Amino acid sequence: MVAQYGIKLAVSIISSHFGDLVAKVCECLLRKGTLSLGDLVRYNQLQSNQVKNCLLVLIQHNCVQAFSVQKDGAFGEAPKVVTQYTVLFGNILHRLRFSKFMAIVSKEFDKECEELLEALLQHGRLTLEQILQRAQSISKQNDWSNAVQDALRESFVKLVNARYVERCPDPEPFMAPPDEEDAPKRSAKAAKLAKKTAQTLEQRAVAAAVPLESKRFAIMIDTGTDVGGEETPSQSLGEKRKYRELEMDRETMVNISEKEVLWRANFEAFIRRLRHKACVVNVRARLDDGAGTVLNAMLEATKKAESKVKTENSVPLSMDTILEEVMKSEEGRTMTLERVRGALSQLGCHSSTRVAEDSYSVDLRSIIESAQNEEVESIIMKRYGGDAYRIFRLLSKTDRLVETDNISDTTFVEKKETVKILYNLWKENFLHMERITSHGSKQSEFLLWKVNKNSVWENTFDEMCHAALNLSQRMAYELEKEHEILQLPREKRVGQRFERIRKVKTLLESSLMKLDDGLMLFHDF
Amino acid sequence: MGRTPDLKRKRPISNSNSPSLTDSERVLYDLIKSKQDMGIWTRDMKRETNLQDHVVTKSLKSLQAKKLIKEVVNVQNKLKKHYLAVEFEPSKELTGGAWYVEGNLDTEFIKQLKELCSRHVFKMKVATTDGITESIRRSGVINVECTTQQIAEILRVLVLDNDIMEVRSTEVGEFASIPLGTVCYKCSGKGGPTGVSKTGAMVSIPCGVCPRISECTPDGIISPRTCLYFTKWLDF
Repeated sequence: MVAQYGIKLAVSIISSHFGDLVAKVCECLLRKGTLSLGDLVRYNQLQSNQVKNCLLVLIQHNCVQAFSVQKDGAFGEAPKVVTQYTVLFGNILHRLRFSKFMAIVSKEFDKECEELLEALLQHGRLTLEQILQRAQSISKQNDWSNAVQDALRESFVKLVNARYVERCPDPEPFMAPPDEEDAPKRSAKAAKLAKKTAQTLEQRAVAAAVPLESKRFAIMIDTGTDVGGEETPSQSLGEKRKYRELEMDRETMVNISEKEVLWRANFEAFIRRLRHKACVVNVRARLDDGAGTVLNAMLEATKKAESKVKTENSVPLSMDTILEEVMKSEEGRTMTLERVRGALSQLGCHSSTRVAEDSYSVDLRSIIESAQNEEVESIIMKRYGGDAYRIFRLLSKTDRLVETDNISDTTFVEKKETVKILYNLWKENFLHMERITSHGSKQSEFLLWKVNKNSVWENTFDEMCHAALNLSQRMAYELEKEHEILQLPREKRVGQRFERIRKVKTLLESSLMKLDDGLMLFHDF
Repeated sequence: MGRTPDLKRKRPISNSNSPSLTDSERVLYDLIKSKQDMGIWTRDMKRETNLQDHVVTKSLKSLQAKKLIKEVVNVQNKLKKHYLAVEFEPSKELTGGAWYVEGNLDTEFIKQLKELCSRHVFKMKVATTDGITESIRRSGVINVECTTQQIAEILRVLVLDNDIMEVRSTEVGEFASIPLGTVCYKCSGKGGPTGVSKTGAMVSIPCGVCPRISECTPDGIISPRTCLYFTKWLDF
């Protein structure tokens, strides 16, 4: 279930991008879970076509996924297929970070690619034809020649090959009811295990909607030369151009594909890149620049090989490949073999964790975990001070119940003070407490403490959502207050008041971006 | 275990001193001595001996005057007066161990030791507990003898403070002279002995440390629009 302020933040994002009506439908889905059109109409007391339009907007912008299930009919009626709508909370929050996605593309490719991506982010889903039309309408140059079009197509292929753009998912996958005959055969234990690992219906539906890997990034484009489609051998058929018929087929197919295939930005690929970046930043700060450079080179070399966002370990690489990659970067050129070896050992790749002979892989999960720890610890430090920081770190590191006196002895905090701090942290849900009463002994009651990471992390995420919501509301308020002077023509925008609002805007925006890094750290990485 | 022969040797001596004790004094004295280095709390004495309050108080005074027993502060509860026979040193449970002076944490001493340790770790780049203890001993800055155990405890606290890091030797590079797998310490982050505190995303904005955040709602009395912390923060 999504946290309280997570919902509020998501609703405020949707409301500011698409208006209150869409936000109302979205909030209903966030609070009540998956619903059918009929349910949505009933809960919102809106007209059916209003709700339909809202859903269309949300689907167009990849915030809602539809899927159909078979429902048992009433007595004597045949079972019927019902369309359900599920909201994609993660994708709504991604709207906060579009500028980060654009920055990635602008750094890795060029201005054209950035503009293409911008179109997709603005419109949610587009066919290649629509993308080209849009480019034509905004291009200031008069020459809309074939050469310009071909250049655009080429940029598009670059984005697809880099996995930053993908085909849209299946609009409405059918979810077959679970096979009931199969169920009783399994042992109770197996069933329990299956229940634990089983995905929810919504998760299965989202997974089922994703096109097969080979189709997801398959692209057919006529640019004179054949491009793309590394994984689809069918496309290379056209390469030989021996047969006229085949040539004809290809042209029509290209035409159809340009008009009919819908594309969208692949959020997963962007989040994966941002996760890599967060890992490198953390390693740079916690260890040193050398370790950061080496990790960056390793992730850069294998960015295409990863298929999911939350990869545990980086793709194994040999020492030769690592060295080669390290030397590509400016700061890596000065590193000796000995220095690279040292950095790898700092990163925790020693002989024991090697996957195979002479291949190195970094535990990314643990880097993310220490980044999460640091964020929570910094909150404790600032709110409760150094002694509490020490106590929290002790409990977070031991990861089991520890008795009050034991905590006081290990952390050098006076017993009375320790109890006070522990109690405060417990009150704010940072700690879990257990009481143990022993009979007959002198001291009859012991208090045991522990950090329950899952719940602390959830609370932190919720508080961050609250803070992000506050930042964006304050921003709206500040801009509204200075509405008049912001309306002035550019040359008149001078003076103290304007200077102030400019600074306020910069500070609020940059803080929101930084806080968004934190949101990703706890939600997406 | 080591105390038993001691006890046996001392008993006849103390017995020879005792003719001047009254009956109640004798009962109390034997009880206190039987508790060895743990001592006993006045209330427990009264319960175990069934003597009246004023008798106990009077006898304790006289035993103290005769230099047979002494009063110690219990670190667990400073109001509970504990009495020990003079020949015993109070146990660790009573005093709180080496870090306590008269029932209070010796913060000044701890602070000095912490500074000293982190300075040594900084100087030595990578060091083991033994190495740091040895280095401090040789430098002769402190006149009190510090055990390796004490230094280890200080180092553990420095790790919790995130001033230093605990790492295991890989025998590569900077660890070359340290056997594989040995626990070592080095300075954490890029900072010197004081370390630079990293600023998290939350703590760099007012909401991250706001004491009223739980009462703050978009349309409430406390709201981001009317928030004074925000106003102060955005005061350019």
